[in-house]
Amino acid sequence: MATDESPQEPRPEGVETVAAEDVDAADILGSAVERREDPSLLTGDAEYTDDIQLPEMAHVAILRSQYAHARIDGIDTDAAEGMDGVVDIYTADDLDVSGNVPTAWELDTLREVDHPLLAEERVRYQGDAIAVVVAEERYQAHDALDAIDVDYERLDAVTDPTEALDEDAPVLHEEAGENTAFEWEIGDAEATDEAFAEAGTVVDLDVTNQLLIPNAMEPRAAVADYDPGDDELTVHMASQNPHVHRLLMSGVLDHPEHKLRIRAPDVGGGFGSKIHHYPDEALAAWTAKRLERPVKWQATRTETYLTDAQGRGHETHGEIAIDDDGNIRGLRIDTKANLGAYLSTFAPAVPTYLYGTLMSGQYEIPAIHCEVTGAYSNVPPVDAYRGAGRPEASYIVERLVNRAADAVDADPAEFRRQNFVDPDDFPYETPVAVEYDSGDYEKPLDKALDLVGYEGFRERQAEAREEGRYLGIGLSCYIEACGLAPSELVGALGARAGLWESGLVRFTPTGTVTAACGTSGHGQGHDTTYAQIVANELGVDYEDVDVKEGDTADLPQGMGTYGSRSAAVGGSALVKGAREVVEKAKRIAAHQLEAATEDIEFDDGDFHVAGAPDRSMGIQEVALEAYLAHDLPDDVDPGLEATAFYDPDNFVFPFGTHVAVVEVDPETGEIDFENYVAVDDVGNQINPKIVEGQIHGGIAQGIGQALYEGAEYDDNGQLTTGSMQDYAVPKSSHIPEMETDSTTTPSPVNPLGVKGVGEAGTIAAPQAVVNAVVDALEPFGVEHIEMPLTNERVWRAVDERAGATGGDD
Amino acid sequence: MEREITLTVNGTDHELSVEPRTLLVHALRDEMGYTGPNVGCESSMCGACTVHVDGEAVKACTELAVRAEDAEITTIEGMGEEGDMHPLQESFQAEHGLQCGYCTPGMVMTASAFLEENPDPEREEIREALEGNLCRCTGYQNIVNAVESAAEEMRDSPMSPETATGETAADGGTVEEGGD
Amino acid sequence: MEFDGTVSIADVTSEEVWLALSDPVMIKQSLPGCQFLVAVDDEEVDFDELDESSTDEDPETLPAADPEAIAERAFVDGGRYAALMQISVGSVEPSFETVVTIEEREFPRMDASGEGSAASSSFEMASGMELVETDDGVEIEWWAEADVFGRVAQMGQRVINPVANRVVGRFFDRIEDELRDVQTDEPSGLRDRVSGLF
Ligand code: FES
Ligand code: FES
Repeated sequence: MATDESPQEPRPEGVETVAAEDVDAADILGSAVERREDPSLLTGDAEYTDDIQLPEMAHVAILRSQYAHARIDGIDTDAAEGMDGVVDIYTADDLDVSGNVPTAWELDTLREVDHPLLAEERVRYQGDAIAVVVAEERYQAHDALDAIDVDYERLDAVTDPTEALDEDAPVLHEEAGENTAFEWEIGDAEATDEAFAEAGTVVDLDVTNQLLIPNAMEPRAAVADYDPGDDELTVHMASQNPHVHRLLMSGVLDHPEHKLRIRAPDVGGGFGSKIHHYPDEALAAWTAKRLERPVKWQATRTETYLTDAQGRGHETHGEIAIDDDGNIRGLRIDTKANLGAYLSTFAPAVPTYLYGTLMSGQYEIPAIHCEVTGAYSNVPPVDAYRGAGRPEASYIVERLVNRAADAVDADPAEFRRQNFVDPDDFPYETPVAVEYDSGDYEKPLDKALDLVGYEGFRERQAEAREEGRYLGIGLSCYIEACGLAPSELVGALGARAGLWESGLVRFTPTGTVTAACGTSGHGQGHDTTYAQIVANELGVDYEDVDVKEGDTADLPQGMGTYGSRSAAVGGSALVKGAREVVEKAKRIAAHQLEAATEDIEFDDGDFHVAGAPDRSMGIQEVALEAYLAHDLPDDVDPGLEATAFYDPDNFVFPFGTHVAVVEVDPETGEIDFENYVAVDDVGNQINPKIVEGQIHGGIAQGIGQALYEGAEYDDNGQLTTGSMQDYAVPKSSHIPEMETDSTTTPSPVNPLGVKGVGEAGTIAAPQAVVNAVVDALEPFGVEHIEMPLTNERVWRAVDERAGATGGDD
Repeated sequence: MEREITLTVNGTDHELSVEPRTLLVHALRDEMGYTGPNVGCESSMCGACTVHVDGEAVKACTELAVRAEDAEITTIEGMGEEGDMHPLQESFQAEHGLQCGYCTPGMVMTASAFLEENPDPEREEIREALEGNLCRCTGYQNIVNAVESAAEEMRDSPMSPETATGETAADGGTVEEGGD
Repeated sequence: MEFDGTVSIADVTSEEVWLALSDPVMIKQSLPGCQFLVAVDDEEVDFDELDESSTDEDPETLPAADPEAIAERAFVDGGRYAALMQISVGSVEPSFETVVTIEEREFPRMDASGEGSAASSSFEMASGMELVETDDGVEIEWWAEADVFGRVAQMGQRVINPVANRVVGRFFDRIEDELRDVQTDEPSGLRDRVSGLF
């Protein structure tokens, strides 16, 4: 990096891990214990879906539309059927199931459209599935795809949400009549108009929040197996939520839900892309059933580019109103959201309830109005990608706030501070329908400013400018809503499912514990975190707790892992389950100790009689008694386990401040990081090292959006960034050293006091970077650059302004 | 048309029959059961499939199985096992250099070949060395930390070069891969 | 995707160039990867049949051929032609079954459109050329606008542009070579006979 002349960059400070055996049982919660899942992942022992080999297994490959929009006049599979190893080929005509991919969220104005498993007469995005080839070998299946002859009649395509809403745009779904998928609003339009009318200063901004491709390193995959004897259909698949997949797939395939087993083996990342119900995994399952033979479908990277649900895709006009004292008075947002060709699983929720409700940011804004129009277009379905709606909200709010500070000539940090919600005002009700649980926004701001050396920065910046070097600093004071729940609320907002979570805690007679949760981790370290939680609640050794997830066969119904909900909702379900177990154990202990239950106290795994600490019994001994059942109280059944369903009262609202310091070369458009500081408040931390890892990874994806990534389509809807060559997933040298720290404001919503951490970095980072670059280029009059801030775009922005102002520098 | 070949993986000879176009990574995974190397892109962009071929880090999706005859191939399975991991594997765990683990075998193999060349690298050099290995989970910082710590560890307690690179001694066995 | 360029050929007349570029046989021989190029009447083109009946033996082209014979088989306004084009793009080598329509042909300008499809890829294009006589020869100004779909499109312009440039470059190189033979073939009075055609 050009800005750093020192030979050896020091390692940024980070959390130190400890081996679990070195941690006192009483301290396990909150310790940065090494992850227990790592040895298997590190030695090649892990089992990802593609590692599964079943006897007689055939391979499935899927023929996909080469056009973004076309009518299909015929499909000729004859030549392909005769090829070596080809077992069978299926098109829409062969499907004997209802086969319509559902969406799990409704909105009043939603125009729902059909989404068949295999395209019938029309394809609507490049990658739309047309036919399934089954062959003995992986390569043979792919060979046969090339021999299928599809007679297409190409139609005009539209990929941009604003253009798709135009009257003359090609209409994707004739039954819908137009490309408008929904019109939605939140907040008070009238109050907002008034606020703007009275405001001393109004600033506006148009931004594009570009389409992103999730790029989990493991492409989606499924291995399906059918046992005709008892009608059992088993699908091992890269899933973030096996129970949700089971529920939806049982409907799509008309297969009884209890005879369908979805199992997520090790999963190589998801970031949202493995939440949704796509046609492909269901087609693999259908094929296994049809052939009564196991099959494997493994997406190629090309297929993930063409078919994984993409994220973001907004075009937004935002306005902010400020009074003469520098107080924000109002915010007005108008967004066109790209939904892609079909409605994906959570698609309607992402640009609405996960977006509009976050428009208040960390600020007290008396009047807000946000309207969103969803548009069908010829790109793959758009749905949740890490952050899902909240990065888009945070981006427009923090860009507008930054510009507002400029407009009233205020320091961006002080302007924010002045407008923060006061720590005494929590719980805080925003004008956009949510109630923030807890917060103390100045703390992370101060800590971050301190870490980054904000005080001396402007001077340094001025000196550098003298030398022709352009430094910039960018703040992002973000808020997010996560821990997706509670069910009653999401139900009222349109969810066709609840968003509670299940936690099962089961002792064995020998005192070891199985804990199972309805979430489904895919890299987050749940085995470790959940074992910490359960060991702490039960007072047993961490090593005595085994964690299970991700299999519908024998685990309680669950909702899965997304929306940074696992710790807050899943972890809390385990707490609830563990506490129920302790309650039962207490009655057994009381009986054994010949005391009244009310007189029994429980700590660190021991029950003892109040005031008589030597009359005690360990919970693991109680477990044995519970299973021996030789001497239980009359009203207590044998066994020691509990399955709890936990439904919190509210979302949780993590927050924090990220600061980027960059140097921009106006001649080349190159951006170098001098520093990236993140101070996050995610409530209590169960494992601070895992928290740090989540923050790091999130920031990397946020920086990816800010500087490198973006799905691009040509006029015909052809994806021109369809490989890792053309779509820049950040590399090791693209991501700066990050300095992370935290503050702790426990959430009152759940028993653990946790908020959520999975998405924070991705939500926070883009605007920190963009604000920094714009700050660096302030001498050139650059006010905004659209993401990704490629060298070329930065250079052009400088060049255009230089042209406009007759040249600067 | 299939060809009979013998591949030496982690010191064990495997006889198998493959098509001339079979990629090394598919031969390793599908024919011989070494599922440690993962396929992330099948186009030499992601590095998840990295193995050692005669001690060099090679992306196994860019190499044909038939061309790897006569070479010593080492996969992540040959680096160490649970309870007896290579210092790099240990430091990846200690530094939280992995999350989903999909990129990890490739990262470890690339890093170990790199540390052979450069036992005392600077952080920037580690970042450069890992440029061909994509990780979507970690943001790389803890991976760089892991490689840095392992380098230190390996310098402080040098082992025989064989153990250091994890090219474990062979048991000399031969395995015949049953038909398909 | 848009491409254009100008190719200069020295010491030729625009009539000669026109005749050469109007000759399906010459075009077939000059287009790299072109298996056949024949006029078709039917709405539906059966490429398998055409492929089978196509011969390796081509009739003579300039300078050996009789200009009248060429004029006879030359592209006609509104005519449709089928071609099988094998082009290697990146790691794949699709065979495009291509139908070309001569949209307009009026000396010294010709416009054509075409559509080609292969396994998992296809293209649509419009193209044209105009001959401009200069002091020392002829300039061929050409342009093409192509839309590419499917697997090949996914490889991106980074891969496609060099391929397109290579095909076009070789094509005009060969045309130039052939025409050089025309100029050196003075004794037969070819040049006069060609101009006599116009
Ligand atoms: S699978 Fe080999 S580099 Fe990606
Ligand atoms: S740990 Fe998931 S891709 Fe690296």
